[in-house]
Amino acid sequence: MNSIGDACKPLKDEYDACFNTWFSEQFLKGRTNDSMCEPLFRVYQDCVKKVMKEQNIEIQEVEKDLLGTNSERKVPPKKS
Amino acid sequence: MKIWTSEHIFNHPWETVATAAWRKYPNPHNPAVIGTDVVERKVVDGVLHTHRLVSSKWYFPRWTQALIGSAKICYASEKSVVNPSVRKMILNTVNLTFCRYVAVDETLCYTPHPTDPGKTLLKQEAVVTVQGVPLNNYMEDLLTNKISLNAGKGRQAMEWVIGKINAEVKDFTKSTDEILHQTKKSLDDITSTAKKSMDDISQKAMKSLDDIQPLRQKF
Repeated sequence: MNSIGDACKPLKDEYDACFNTWFSEQFLKGRTNDSMCEPLFRVYQDCVKKVMKEQNIEIQEVEKDLLGTNSERKVPPKKS
Repeated sequence: MKIWTSEHIFNHPWETVATAAWRKYPNPHNPAVIGTDVVERKVVDGVLHTHRLVSSKWYFPRWTQALIGSAKICYASEKSVVNPSVRKMILNTVNLTFCRYVAVDETLCYTPHPTDPGKTLLKQEAVVTVQGVPLNNYMEDLLTNKISLNAGKGRQAMEWVIGKINAEVKDFTKSTDEILHQTKKSLDDITSTAKKSMDDISQKAMKSLDDIQPLRQKF
C-alpha cells in the first residue's frame, strides 16, 4: 500500500509489518502495551506529517465546528 | 440526504476479520484506493484508536467535473476503534475532498455473529449528502449506487485478504514445523553423541579400574 509521500513508503512498510504482528500476536491476545512499534511509528509519523503540510492536506478539517460559528455559510442577502 | 445500510456475514472468526481489515488495501477489488497513512494511533484503556488518511483515485463522469472539479486524488479521514475485550471494531470514514458539495459518511462495524461466535457480522451504513449543486437528488442516487457497488467489492476484498493471511499462516506453520524437526534431529544427534561419549568414558573408566585391580593385588 502506498503512502501520500513516496519518501515515506519504506518507513510505512516497516511500521505496517510491525503493527500487523503486534495487532494479531499481542493486542488481540490482551497484551495492550503498544511500545513494540513505537520507534518505527515515530519516524513514519514525522515523514507523513511533513508531506501533509507540503501538500496542504488538512485532516482536522472534518472536526471543525461550522454550524453556529462565523465560518458557517450564510444565505446571500436577497436582491432588493 | 440518502441513507444506505447493509449487513454481511463472514465465515471467519472476528480476530481474523479484524486483522484482515487493517490489511484490506491494496487489493485487486478496490483499485481506487491508492494509499493509507496513519495520522494518529494510541491505546486507551485497552482500546485501540486509529486515525488514518485514505487516498483514492476517483474517475468522475466528465460532465460532473465542472461542478465538483476534476479532483483526481481524493482524501478521506478514517477513524476507528478496536475493543478486543468485547470483540468490536468500528470504522468511520468521511470524505475530506469536495467537502463543499458532497458529504459521504460511512460506518463499518465488525462484531461476532450473535449466535455463531466463529462467524463475523458486518454492519455497514452510509449517509450521502449532496448540496449546492443542481440535480443534487440525482447525484445522491448516483453516489449511493456507487457505494452499494463498492460495498460488494469491499467484501470480496476482505475475503481475498483473509485468504492471503491464511496462506501466510500455513507457510509459517510449515516453516515452524521444519525448524522443530531440525531441532529435534540436532537434539537427537547431540544425545546420541553424548551417550556415545558417556559410554566411552565409563568403558574406559571400567578398563582403568580393571587395570588398577591387579596392580592393587600385587602390592
